[in-house]
Amino acid sequence: MSRESAIALAAGIPTAIWLLTLLVWWRSRRRIRSQAHNAAARLSDSPLAEVRGLEKTIGQLEREVDDAVTKGGDASAAETRLVHAISAIDDGIVLLDDAGEIVFRNRPAEHFLGARHGEAIVESSIEDLAARALSGERVKQNVELFGPPRRMLVVSAEPLDDGRRGIGALVVIEDVTERQRVDAVRRDFVANISHELKTPVGGIGVLAETLLGEDDLDIIGRLAARMHHEAMRASRTIDDLLELSRIEAGEASLRDPVPVHLVLAEAVERSANAAEQRGITLDLVEPSRRLTLLGDRRQLVSAVFNLLDNAIKYSADGSSVVVSASTDGPSVQLSVADRGVGIPRRDLERIFERFYRVDRARSRDTGGTGLGLAIVRHVVSNHGGEVRVDSREGEGTTFTLVMPAGPGPVAVATPEAG
Amino acid sequence: MIEEPPSEVRVQFRDELDGVVREITRLAAHVTEAIPRGTQALLDGDLQTAQAMIDHDDVIDDLSIEIEERCYKILTLQAPVASDLRAIIAAIRLVAEIERSADLMVNVCKGTRRIYPTELPPPVRGLLQQMSEQATKLFTMCMDAYLEQDASLAAALDDIDDRLDDLHADFIQTVLEWGSDEGDIQPAVQLALIGRYYERIGDHAVNIGERVRYMVDGWLPEHAGSARVHATRPVWSDVEAAGGPDV
Repeated sequence: MSRESAIALAAGIPTAIWLLTLLVWWRSRRRIRSQAHNAAARLSDSPLAEVRGLEKTIGQLEREVDDAVTKGGDASAAETRLVHAISAIDDGIVLLDDAGEIVFRNRPAEHFLGARHGEAIVESSIEDLAARALSGERVKQNVELFGPPRRMLVVSAEPLDDGRRGIGALVVIEDVTERQRVDAVRRDFVANISHELKTPVGGIGVLAETLLGEDDLDIIGRLAARMHHEAMRASRTIDDLLELSRIEAGEASLRDPVPVHLVLAEAVERSANAAEQRGITLDLVEPSRRLTLLGDRRQLVSAVFNLLDNAIKYSADGSSVVVSASTDGPSVQLSVADRGVGIPRRDLERIFERFYRVDRARSRDTGGTGLGLAIVRHVVSNHGGEVRVDSREGEGTTFTLVMPAGPGPVAVATPEAG
Repeated sequence: MIEEPPSEVRVQFRDELDGVVREITRLAAHVTEAIPRGTQALLDGDLQTAQAMIDHDDVIDDLSIEIEERCYKILTLQAPVASDLRAIIAAIRLVAEIERSADLMVNVCKGTRRIYPTELPPPVRGLLQQMSEQATKLFTMCMDAYLEQDASLAAALDDIDDRLDDLHADFIQTVLEWGSDEGDIQPAVQLALIGRYYERIGDHAVNIGERVRYMVDGWLPEHAGSARVHATRPVWSDVEAAGGPDV
């Protein structure tokens, strides 16, 4: 081998290898790869006569590489945009190649990979379904996590192909918790409102029919009393529905500074009769008279009254209910605490729904309409606040209304009756 | 000084150990989910969910056996030593503790069937809910200690378990009072057993914590007792000098 050809080999082989690597890396077209292979093959043969031809080929390859690099840059920018777009999707997305290796996962999916505790079950499900999708199956699995928070996820996987053969699998993890919650609320609302309105009306109809054929004055008296009870029940439901719709419509109502101690006193006064009948003590912890809320006094009294009404209904005879208020400066907290039966944990997030019942039989026995806590939530929401509930079955419940504080002490007017 | 890259055997061992840890995490996940799910089934008298959980125990058993076999294979083929050996032995012990905890939740589900359709009073329901939350918390913490190799957290589990023990004591008292008021002691006995299952899950979480301490720094509770035995046992040469042991 001559010195000239040796130099050409020494310079040409690394260049060709570098070009090959670069081309493969950019996944360039078959033509470029083919030329690169030819060049490498010819260089390895290394006859001097071909060196000039090789220089020409390498020059052509360099131009092709420049072109490929430019296109690769464009493709890289497009890929970055695509990755950002897919990462913005709420559903988790995992893409696997035909060997089962994860080639892409978006941010929500990353959360489940390498997870611990309940979420490790989701990771396991992703792996199982991906393996089945790689063998050609389209599969779906519901994964319920008790958390907390409790969640329902749907993991689905399907095979990917290029029309001729499988090239991998796609796994999608969808969180359907909120969708399920909304479905349950809608379904239960329709069922409950039908029951609440139809039951007393149906009852009155049946009682009236029985009354028509009855001569015994004693029985007539009992039937009439029952009809009156059912009529009052329907009336209470309609009153609460009207109250709720008034509160819902009252978002833009005039806001005045309202002394908190008057709100509590008025609500306690309205509940006193019901409490007395059950031997329940209402302990009003008198707040500072300087404490005010900016809002609608009637609505605020209604909210506290509904909480007291609930506390009395679900407390044992002879127990006590504590009503208090406090402030941390920017906000005022109104609390109603009982030591009653408490609310099961699973019901805590649903108790503010209209007509939702924790214990249907017991709730109707107590004469509730199922709208009290819905009214409370709307009032607090109208006042830019929130309702907090802390409850343990068998220990009792504390509802706390947290609302923005008013401007300070106000001239106190005598509370209106009722 | 340039650090030498780990050998291929070492890399393979780490990969296999990572695989075992991942599988143990999944096994424990079944328990952390089973505790609140089983409790909800108990509180709701939901026999369908209770049965599904009893059936699901086969999956947990199968996974436990699979992990144990992986550990034995690593022991046989890799012959690990020192901390690597402790990690594998701890893994084998952890699998047993987790699997037993899953069995205890199966027992809770069987108890659900036995007390059906008894309506549980609010104080009993509240205490069951609290014991379930505390057992879940302990199990979650012991797995955190394992995955993060946190010996301090593992050591704290015993004290945290005291809260579950207190709840258990309150629960037994409440259940027995309720049983005597009702005049039917059978559901109360079943509930007392169920309370015991939660308390035992807490104990298993504490055991896991002890295994984590063993894995991290070689500490074991038995070592303290063993040291006491060695301190009080007479040395053989002393016995011989005194004219041999009394028979």
